[in-house]
Amino acid sequence: MKSLVKEHIEKIKSGKISLDEFISEIKKKIEKIQSEYSPFITIKIENPEKKGKLYGIPISVKDNICTQGIQSTAGSKILEGYVPPFDATCVKKVKGQGSVIIGKTAQDEFGFGSFSVNSFVIPKNPWDKTRVCGGSSGGAACLTALADFPHIAMAESTGGSISCPAAFCGVVGITPTYGRVSRFGLIDYANSLDKIGTIGKTVYDTALLLSVISGYDTLDSTSLEVRDEDFTKYCEENSKIKIAVPKEYFGEGVDPKIKDLVWKAIKKLESLGAKYQEVSLSQTTYALPSYYLIAMAEASTNLAKFCGMRYGFHSELKGNFEEYFSQIRKLGFGEEAKRRIILGTYARMAGFRDAYYLKALKVRSLVIQDFRRIFKKFDVIAAPTMPVIAPRFDEVKKLEPIEAYMMDVLTAAPNLAGIPMISLPCGFVKSLPVGLHLMADHLQEKKIIQAAHTFEVNE
Amino acid sequence: MKVLIGIEIHVHLLTKAKLFCSCSTDYEGKEPNNLVCPICLGFPGSKPKVNKKAIDFGILAAKALNCKINPEIFFSRKSYFYPDMPKNFQISQYEIPLAVGGYLEILGKKIRIRRIHLEEDPARLVHVGGDITSATHVLADYNRAGIPLLEIVTEPDFTSTKEVREFLSKLSSILEHLEIFDPSKEAGLRVDANISLEGGERAEIKNITGFANVEKALNYEIIRQKNLRRIGKKVERETRHFDAETRSTHTLRKKEFEEDYGYIFEPDLTKIEISQSWIKSLKMPELPDKRVERFVKQYKIPKQQASVIVYIDKALADFFEDCSKIYKNYKQLAKWIVTDLLKCLNWNKITIRESRVKPKSFVELLKLIDKGKITERLAKEIIKEYVPTGKSPEQIVKEKKLVTIKGKKELEKVVLAVIKENKKAVDDLKAGRKKALEFLVGHVLKKTRKTADPKVVRELIEKLTK
Repeated sequence: MKSLVKEHIEKIKSGKISLDEFISEIKKKIEKIQSEYSPFITIKIENPEKKGKLYGIPISVKDNICTQGIQSTAGSKILEGYVPPFDATCVKKVKGQGSVIIGKTAQDEFGFGSFSVNSFVIPKNPWDKTRVCGGSSGGAACLTALADFPHIAMAESTGGSISCPAAFCGVVGITPTYGRVSRFGLIDYANSLDKIGTIGKTVYDTALLLSVISGYDTLDSTSLEVRDEDFTKYCEENSKIKIAVPKEYFGEGVDPKIKDLVWKAIKKLESLGAKYQEVSLSQTTYALPSYYLIAMAEASTNLAKFCGMRYGFHSELKGNFEEYFSQIRKLGFGEEAKRRIILGTYARMAGFRDAYYLKALKVRSLVIQDFRRIFKKFDVIAAPTMPVIAPRFDEVKKLEPIEAYMMDVLTAAPNLAGIPMISLPCGFVKSLPVGLHLMADHLQEKKIIQAAHTFEVNE
Repeated sequence: MKVLIGIEIHVHLLTKAKLFCSCSTDYEGKEPNNLVCPICLGFPGSKPKVNKKAIDFGILAAKALNCKINPEIFFSRKSYFYPDMPKNFQISQYEIPLAVGGYLEILGKKIRIRRIHLEEDPARLVHVGGDITSATHVLADYNRAGIPLLEIVTEPDFTSTKEVREFLSKLSSILEHLEIFDPSKEAGLRVDANISLEGGERAEIKNITGFANVEKALNYEIIRQKNLRRIGKKVERETRHFDAETRSTHTLRKKEFEEDYGYIFEPDLTKIEISQSWIKSLKMPELPDKRVERFVKQYKIPKQQASVIVYIDKALADFFEDCSKIYKNYKQLAKWIVTDLLKCLNWNKITIRESRVKPKSFVELLKLIDKGKITERLAKEIIKEYVPTGKSPEQIVKEKKLVTIKGKKELEKVVLAVIKENKKAVDDLKAGRKKALEFLVGHVLKKTRKTADPKVVRELIEKLTK
């Protein structure tokens, strides 16, 4: 697939298109997409103030990333009407490179979900409107698939929120190494897991936006002090990739047709010169529960600040402080947010803290060691992104919370470990896209980009 | 009944910026909610960033209090809902604090220090329409939110209010010598105290502001618990609030079990390594104990007086040394500082720093005594006016016409007149009744408006009645 973004940058540079005309053209397109699929919570198209690497490129921003002057709700009613007084570092960076911010994309409330249904705006799957987009960055992936104009989405993943919707919507999503992109300005879900990444139509597009938003930031103590990289230069074919195929990622719960497609993709890479070997990642089973324990424990503290006192959803001042904030939180939070507050609080209370929260942190170290062991011998790990194709809205409604959490079974471990991963389309099952998941060691984005690009250009 | 007291002291560290953002800490007298930013207001998406200066200050305090400094520290989230908390959790330290296991010696006894840690101060709350239990509403000023607090926790090693007072005074002086704390700031030092009688439950008194209130709160609480025991009632495990106006403590909430703050590691901050080279790079100034030793050696003043001067207040010790540069009778200087100067400062409820007492004018007073221009007795009167006003002592002497009678002849005249007027007393004196002598001295002093030296007067009367 050709990168519209690459073409567009050339055209704007050479003066073949006028930016104003282009913007008014995409405005109409965006409105049409919105009326049919609802990928946006807020549409606001801003002309660029500067020229740079992304001059004239439309960028959508997931709603949990703060944008100065544009409502940022993170998909929650409790932040309805909240207009941040500052830009997230990554937003500042893309604005500095001349991009056209087009609005804020839909998501599960605070990132709590895998279908983008836990919110007040619910995007529909571009391939079948009766199906979900995946989540939590559902709006970002939905818009990316539907846009027939150059566009890249800024998304965010805690436990699979970039890979999942990218797979369900048939687009490319990169989740970088934890700390690669500053989280300053990201409305927290679980701070030790949250990663801002990108979704695009091609590997090149995602790599381009990632190059712009990466880098050390003094405002985020957990951001990594590594040198800046131009990830687009890794969009090159590499025939010497060593691939690990973990058997735990092809288990019972995974749709056999998806397994077949992923195996086909691996064989394809082999035919292009890669070598693969089946391996075992024995800690995989423990990754999902420990991911949820850590994520919920952190989330339950992050959500405490929303109490109708300083910003966001307010109501008439009645009763004492506790009565007031309880009422605000009762009305403002959705069901899933409430569930995670309760579960997360439970996991960190005296008497349970050792058994749940602290044990989950230990498991996390083991999961990282597990991956490290594999990456000593291999460049990338290949697996299906999701165990199923995008489910229908009515199917999702019937799921018990635990069944919904099981959706993250293949994405939880790499997210818990903070390693980079990319999901890219590798075929269709029942006319719905399937994602190939490639993972690499910390800071080895280069390897997944090379492997993904190699597959992409030969598909 | 043995009393057991343990205290937690919270002090504002004198950093220029707050603990996790660059807002100014200089909030006193400022318009409320002006020294704030998205970070100290806990806005969505904002992230804390550690002010290393606060850790420097914490390390200095830990060293001065003989603590073991942990080589790697981290911050944790302490969760509870309260309107003074911007995030409804406080970034504090839990499992591994900055330092542990120290002590501070007072009155020849070691008070053990359990831990020292850093945390952010919540907002300042102003209760409107009543006190903490009866207010109709509360105003919050987030200027204070995020100011670095150093929390120092002692073991329950105190057995009296006096020990607590000595401890706080010395601690404050140490922190002042380290230049990390300003005791003159309101709310700069807050204390939580746990008090129990041996064998009984303990009550915790929260948030007592200032030294004087700590003493009052503790005294009240000890009496309350003793009275309960006397009438056969049990002290309940609870948190109490000290009301500075009524000088009494009141139940805030019953405590059947430990409060559960659901601590997690602060995931927005990384671990901080405190290397030996970091610790060594921080210069330790002369601390109070060493300063007392030096005062004794250098100025040859009694240790007891040196201790008072140094432990009360660094500013007082600095004052002593400033005076010593222009006045060499150190013994006289020390004596006057620890007795009359302190008495007058306390009477006026001010510290040396707040007062208008300056070395030059204070030394002027001492020189008037030395030159025999005024008596010590008169000096004691003059200092009462000098301390609150800062007026030159010579000026006071002039204004009040309080000149010492210079010549003995002049004094003799007065003495003779008194003898003449008090025949009976003179007879009594001659008969050996000593009281009569004091009676006569009193009359002479009255006539000379206390400008005469009683010792000289006494000798004169004895001589002239023989």
